[in-house]
Amino acid sequence: MSQPTAPLISIKDLHKTYVRGSEHIHAVDGITLDIQEKEYIAFVGPSGSGKTTLLHLLGCLDNPTSGELKVAERTVYSEKAAMNERDLTKLRRELYGYVFQKFYLIPTLTVEENILLPFAFYCKPDAHKNAQHLADLLGISHRLNHLPKELSGGEMQRVAIARALINKPQILLADEPTGNLDSKRSAEISDIFSKLNQEEGLTIILVTHNPAMAKSAGRMVELRDGKLV
Amino acid sequence: MPSLFGIAWKNIRRKRLRSILTIIGIALSTWVLVSLLGFNQGYESSLNKDIDNLGFQVLLTAKGCPYEAATLMLKGGTGLKYMPESIVDTVKANPEVEEVTPMLMHAVFDPNKGEEGGITAFLGIDPVTYPRMKTYLQFQQGKWFNQPQALEAVFGYEAAELEQREVGDSYLLPEADVEIKVVGVLKRSGTQDDGTIFLPIRTLQKVYKVNGQVTSVGIKVNKSTDIAKYEEELYKLPDVQVVSMAQVKQTISNLVATARVMVMSIALIAILIAMVGVMNTVLMSVLERWQEIGIMKSMGAMTSHIFKLIWFETILLTFVGGVVGSVMSWILATATDKLIRSVLPYSPTSALVQIDIILALKAIGIIMFIGIISGIYPAWKAARIRPIEAIRSTEGEL
Amino acid sequence: MKRIGILILLLVIYTTGIYAATGCDLNEPDRDVKRLFPGSTGFKTSYVSIQQKGGKALQTKIEQRLGDKFTGMYETMDVPYTVYEIYKDKQGIGYIHGVNQKGQYGGIQVFLALDPKGVIKTLYYQKMTNQSAKAFRSDTFTNQFKGLSMKDFAAYSPVTGKQDGALAKIKNPAPKAVQDFRATLRGIKKNLILMQEFGYTK
Ligand SMILES: Nc1ncnc2c1ncn2[C@@H]1O[C@H](COP(=O)(O)OP(=O)(O)O)[C@@H](O)[C@H]1O
Ligand SMILES: [Mg+2]
Repeated sequence: MSQPTAPLISIKDLHKTYVRGSEHIHAVDGITLDIQEKEYIAFVGPSGSGKTTLLHLLGCLDNPTSGELKVAERTVYSEKAAMNERDLTKLRRELYGYVFQKFYLIPTLTVEENILLPFAFYCKPDAHKNAQHLADLLGISHRLNHLPKELSGGEMQRVAIARALINKPQILLADEPTGNLDSKRSAEISDIFSKLNQEEGLTIILVTHNPAMAKSAGRMVELRDGKLV
Repeated sequence: MPSLFGIAWKNIRRKRLRSILTIIGIALSTWVLVSLLGFNQGYESSLNKDIDNLGFQVLLTAKGCPYEAATLMLKGGTGLKYMPESIVDTVKANPEVEEVTPMLMHAVFDPNKGEEGGITAFLGIDPVTYPRMKTYLQFQQGKWFNQPQALEAVFGYEAAELEQREVGDSYLLPEADVEIKVVGVLKRSGTQDDGTIFLPIRTLQKVYKVNGQVTSVGIKVNKSTDIAKYEEELYKLPDVQVVSMAQVKQTISNLVATARVMVMSIALIAILIAMVGVMNTVLMSVLERWQEIGIMKSMGAMTSHIFKLIWFETILLTFVGGVVGSVMSWILATATDKLIRSVLPYSPTSALVQIDIILALKAIGIIMFIGIISGIYPAWKAARIRPIEAIRSTEGEL
Repeated sequence: MKRIGILILLLVIYTTGIYAATGCDLNEPDRDVKRLFPGSTGFKTSYVSIQQKGGKALQTKIEQRLGDKFTGMYETMDVPYTVYEIYKDKQGIGYIHGVNQKGQYGGIQVFLALDPKGVIKTLYYQKMTNQSAKAFRSDTFTNQFKGLSMKDFAAYSPVTGKQDGALAKIKNPAPKAVQDFRATLRGIKKNLILMQEFGYTK
């Protein structure tokens, strides 16, 4: 690892400004940051400090107001160019998996179908194999034929994680994944994340309020008022 | 592996009551549509059959003479005009004529009918030619008269019912006080014949002293004859009016056209209601799943996937509704027939609403097309959802 | 041309087929009700049939009470009977009900105006075909039925034609038309029985 490789994600002087009436909210206010491949980075900071906004920008879910965003050496956003929605979708399919505080499972689909949901939109070979592997890894193999409403909160989040990983992404984005879980379940999810990072080499970008979980990340970055501290 | 179609189907089943209500709405619209199409199809053929049942293509009457019992009743039995019986031979002389039958309508005032008396109408017919023309008349009891001068009568079913007459009973001709025998009662035909009392024309002429006179002449021409041209010919006869059944048909068709417009508007309204219903249901389901759809997009769904997903839902709803509606209209065909009859100024005897599989498929096609059209807006709405908006917001908004 | 159009319209109205047994309605209910119940302010029309009220069993019962079988093609279970319930303001003041009765030369429509208890107020032949119809329809004849009710007809047999009690006094107004005289009595009796069996009178 002596050879310095290009960062997986690189942002320069990134801004996201919301306009609410006459008020301008600088949710992300000039952040410059590199994230390396296989890194496990955790963003912390008080509520309203801009963590979610930054995460969405890093995940190509939202467009910055200004600055530059490069992912896997592709320019997602710069002063000159912005990727169109179609390419963004392709990029997301290829590189990203997302986990949110709310699990957003489709209530009418079984656990297995929820995990395989991305393949309703595009195909990847060996999907079923990966599904089985993920289910085992996340300890939900016995739940595959259940509906989300029959699961506990911890199990639902595991399903959401499995769904996020089904397309074998390089980057897992997680916004307060344990926000709705008790401490025991949170610890379990935290362990899973560490394991995914160490054993599978997954790049993880995490936003959390959970200090224990933040500590397990390789790098912890604090935000305040849209700026790095 | 989940498919878009499967997801759509499962979503329809999620809000069961709402989906069922929507499907019922669509089914009702389909029912209206199928019935309407069936009506368009059935009416024409039914009307033609009725006209053919009249047995003659042209009716000749004396100028100004009401030629139907109904008119006669309304006029209080007056206004009958006669033609000499010799006209039958004149008409027959034309080689294009296949058969001619003379008729004599006679109305009598019966003081013992109702509080102030009423009119009874009799139709004198030729026992030889008339039955040959009206082959569709069937007997409930008995048969036609034996002799041209027999003191006998054949009753249409309703006339017989009113007079409680059966074969073998006597009947008293009002005014003349002549007793006659009932020799036949006709089955219901659904035509004016049901209310008619038939007598041999000679008998009627003699009893009521209108010898040598007829009120109308039914004419059947050869199949190859140009009826319009032949009618022109007939107008050359002095003091006659020509009522052609083609003309009757035309008039009826015109009358019905108005009713048809009305029925069409009802159908159109039904379709609009179905459309709004579908749109509403699907739009609601889009709004409720705002976040779900956003997540799908973050999971790699293209705009087109979401569009398809929502469209499938619409198509499924309309397809099920269309099939249910078609089956319903088939089951309810008789009831629909009655309903339409009650609206129309004139209804032919045989089935008005003719529904077949092709028609049902056509209707399902139309309904699905309408569904697809109504699904465009919600689908477009859903497809435009940006993942970030959906994730950030707790509720979607229009 | 226009005239022909109108004539056709009439033909057309007339041709519309109705496919049920026909009952016995007043020709002009509004006028007839006013005449038979001069004090009335309104009426309600309902249609009942033996079929609907009890079917075969009820027909048998009615035949037993009548003392005669239902005859012919037209006296059947599914004939709809029209009952006019007469009101003075909100108060029911009686009924009008008619039956078709087979007469010698044609159908006789025997209408009765009844008070709520089932006592005959008026006998009205809406229709009768007979040389002596005038005698039958005269007040002198019809007035004799005023005040009679079911109990006076209970013993009357349409088969023998033997008249007892209150009926004994009523003479045939037209000796030639015995058949129609007896048809009248049968019609009235059937009328009264139906009104009881349909639950209108006691
Ligand atoms: N869609 C939006 N419109 C307007 N303001 C927003 C929007 N999203 C976030 N904000 C504002 O941006 C700031 C940062 O929010 P967020 O990124 O959600 O912070 P955190 O995740 O750290 O709590 C907050 O002040 C918030 O109110
Ligand atoms: Mg947040």
